[in-house]
Amino acid sequence: MNQVAAKQRTSWRVVDIVVASVIAVASGVIFWAWSAGMPLFSLAFVAFPPAAALLTGVWLFPAVLGALIIRKPGAAVFCELLAAIIEALLGSHYGLSVIVSGLVQGLGAELVFAIFRYRKWNLSVALIAGFFTGIFAGISEAYILAYYVEYTSALKILHVLITGVSGLIIAGLLSWLATRGLAKTGALSALASRRAHLESGKLDAK
Amino acid sequence: MSSLANRGADAQTRRGAEISARGFSWQHAERTTPAVSGLDLNIQAGQKVLLVGPSGAGKSTLLHALAGLLEVDESQQMRGELLIDGADAFARQRPVGLMQQDPETQVVQSRVADDVAFGAENLAVDPEVIRERIPEVLDAVGLGMLSFDHRTQELSGGQKQRLALAGILAMQPGLMLLDEPTANVDPEGIGPLRDAVLNAAQLSGATVLVVEHRLEVWAQHMDRIIVLEPGGGVAHDLSPQQLMEDQQLRAELASAGLWVPGYLPQIQQVTLQPGGTLLEAKDLVCARAEQAPRTRPVTLQVRAGTATVIRGENGAGKSTLALTVGGLLAPVAGQLDASEQLANGLGSSPFSWKAGALIGRIGSVFQEPEHQFVAQTVREELAFAPLRAKAIGGRELKYEPEQVEQLVQSLLVRLGLEHLADANPFTLSGGEKRRLSVGTVLAASPDVLILDEPTFGQDANTWRELAQLLVAQLEQDTAIIAVTHDEHLASVLQAEQIHLAALPSGDVAKPKGPVLDAPVGDSWLAKINPLAKLGAVATATLPLISTLDAVSALVIVVASVVLFPLAGLSPLKFLKRAWPLLLAGLFAAWGIALVGQDSGAVYAQLGLFSITEGSLQGGIATGLRAFALAIPCILLLATTNPSDLGGALSQQLKVPHRFVLGALAGMRLLGLMIEEFTTLTLARRARGVGNFGTLAERIGAKLGQSLALLVQAIRRAGRLATTMEAKGFGTAKRTWIRTATFTRTDAAVLIAGIVLGAAAVGAALWAGTYNLVWS
Repeated sequence: MNQVAAKQRTSWRVVDIVVASVIAVASGVIFWAWSAGMPLFSLAFVAFPPAAALLTGVWLFPAVLGALIIRKPGAAVFCELLAAIIEALLGSHYGLSVIVSGLVQGLGAELVFAIFRYRKWNLSVALIAGFFTGIFAGISEAYILAYYVEYTSALKILHVLITGVSGLIIAGLLSWLATRGLAKTGALSALASRRAHLESGKLDAK
Repeated sequence: MSSLANRGADAQTRRGAEISARGFSWQHAERTTPAVSGLDLNIQAGQKVLLVGPSGAGKSTLLHALAGLLEVDESQQMRGELLIDGADAFARQRPVGLMQQDPETQVVQSRVADDVAFGAENLAVDPEVIRERIPEVLDAVGLGMLSFDHRTQELSGGQKQRLALAGILAMQPGLMLLDEPTANVDPEGIGPLRDAVLNAAQLSGATVLVVEHRLEVWAQHMDRIIVLEPGGGVAHDLSPQQLMEDQQLRAELASAGLWVPGYLPQIQQVTLQPGGTLLEAKDLVCARAEQAPRTRPVTLQVRAGTATVIRGENGAGKSTLALTVGGLLAPVAGQLDASEQLANGLGSSPFSWKAGALIGRIGSVFQEPEHQFVAQTVREELAFAPLRAKAIGGRELKYEPEQVEQLVQSLLVRLGLEHLADANPFTLSGGEKRRLSVGTVLAASPDVLILDEPTFGQDANTWRELAQLLVAQLEQDTAIIAVTHDEHLASVLQAEQIHLAALPSGDVAKPKGPVLDAPVGDSWLAKINPLAKLGAVATATLPLISTLDAVSALVIVVASVVLFPLAGLSPLKFLKRAWPLLLAGLFAAWGIALVGQDSGAVYAQLGLFSITEGSLQGGIATGLRAFALAIPCILLLATTNPSDLGGALSQQLKVPHRFVLGALAGMRLLGLMIEEFTTLTLARRARGVGNFGTLAERIGAKLGQSLALLVQAIRRAGRLATTMEAKGFGTAKRTWIRTATFTRTDAAVLIAGIVLGAAAVGAALWAGTYNLVWS
């Protein structure tokens, strides 16, 4: 009995796979729409590029949102990686390295959910996961893929911190709110998160 | 019946499956009452059965149970037994085909042949055998003219359903289940679909169960009609003959909301008093966007208290015309003028009005109610527009807050939604959603009400409630414009009909926005194994990450450009594809030139930052490296179909096929979601949410729209998953009709990539510009 329950908690059903894929694809559409609809934003950041890191969280939300909705091991990595692959397929000036980024970013959130043994999906876990996916993204951009070789060391550290904060707010907080909003509409009825809107909004909720 | 039904009569006839239910009951998890209870039923092999009943009679549940798709867990939710050919239905011993109502999620793959083969592949049928079946089954459903590589996204709704049917036939099922197959299909697509189903039944000998509330399409072609009771078993079991003759039975079925052939819901007729002219169109030409196809010119006059119905073939641009008249799209040519009476102090072009002013004058109700929901409860949804509607001059609010409360209360009563005032709009039933979406627009008391296919998918009861609401609106001097095929609605509204002629043929809509599975052409590179190409691009470009210098990047850029002809890319085609990437590369270069480490001569001083010799060199190297990373990818993308890449990943690199094919199925929906996002923008403007206001309000509006997109996407994913499971997806072993091979040429391409990567780094080392970025 317990084994059955454990298997239900960790194994992916077809509906989990398809919903996770569609979340990644929808994220691709949202990236596309945001970048097409808000050119002013990007222009504003040309003046001071490190500030653009504040928006990095937008590219990180599939990791946290996917995990909060699917609630299965690997969901954060799968959604973020697939979103990155779609970005690469649509054409990205980062080339194939965007797939490496996706993997690293997904791992940041996945690690946090794994530490909580895929049992806790509350606001504080979402915020921590968002923060870590941001930190992982910042580290990979500043040190692994080294997009900013020309930055000074202080700027690099600032970059990592700003991406972390961006991840916390956009990937963490917004994903948690979105999951509750989606659960209210009944759209998650076939998924483990179907009752997310009834879960407490307190930071230490179970 | 068309000639379809006679085709392929020589095909081998197989025996259909026999169904029997003995006291079968099923209760969904977290529900208090069973969906099906104590069902006793026998259906002989090869029978064609129409399954009807009011909503909530458990028809879909029964079909899902027969398809073996209901999840059985530890709770005691099932009783009795449900057998197919004497074996438990949940054991899924023989393939069972299932078709649902949403055409978009009945198709799984992006190419026609792949989609037909999908189910048979999952059943691990020999690829040779599947390849033989594909043309046969496409012929059987009347799609024999399509090429195997035809993009499934380009098919109409009815064609998508027939394609799904072909895929079911290729699985050679003993039982075919169809859950409202024609509900989301345009009228002209219904006949061919029905004929295809009948032909498929004859060819395969399969037992057929059709659930449908429009009886006239199916009744006379069926052997039996079974009427289910809400939450119970069989209420009636009759022949098509009895359905036409038994008056008492007909009345009973009609009152349960079924569309009984020859029976039309009656509405109390009223005498209408046409009022003054509100809108006038002269030679109005409409289009979704600059580049999109245009409608033929339309001239019409809209008077208060009258109805106008827009008719025309599929693709004539009826919805586009409705959106333009509704002030949501700008007219492309001709005139659209609001009268003084309607404009009430504003300019005469509705498109120029702000959303808040528009909703109090012209209200648009979209085809899909959910596209227009913006609030958390039914009450808030109804209060949303009146709280924002602007009065004369477009500045002051049209209503005081107390007035709004009264207005909402009276609307709740009129719509029959009083008991649902605090429910989430998305959780309502189909008929309730439709009434609410009309109500939300009526709440701002517009003088003109525009509706797109308002009666689509409604049962006879919800149809009557909606028609009554509209007639009452006409009596109150509202003008109604409806895009509809529904002749009964047109007659009830005493509407003047205008016919929009079809566009010149060949002028078909092109997809907007990015496309993942564009045709890859037949260049030399298109024939290379996708993994070989991917490996070559990775080994050529990823070493560049280790260094930031212009030399190595330049080697890759030059080499890629030289290779363009192998990918069939002309410079113009390349620029069309790559300009956003090139622009992004320039931005990156500029950023580094600004904040990079300064050294040498100072070229410019901009506030805190300076552009120096050192930072400029850094910027140039950064920009070139971005080009070098991106351009080889263009070679890969222009010559590779994602489905082939997925197939190779799964067959040759052993990536689990469940995840690869699941991802590909999701990716097929990309174009659809982009279209949906665009529709959402218009639908939300029609509700008074728009691209205006403070930055925070605009961000809030965008977030709400993103959430609305996710709701639709996740629902669709659920239906797609059901389709895939019904087609046997998720089993351990499957076959592939497109076998990935790795030839010597493929190996040569991979080696060329490795050599190129090494050459780039070598050149940088030789030139002395190599600088390890991690040091």
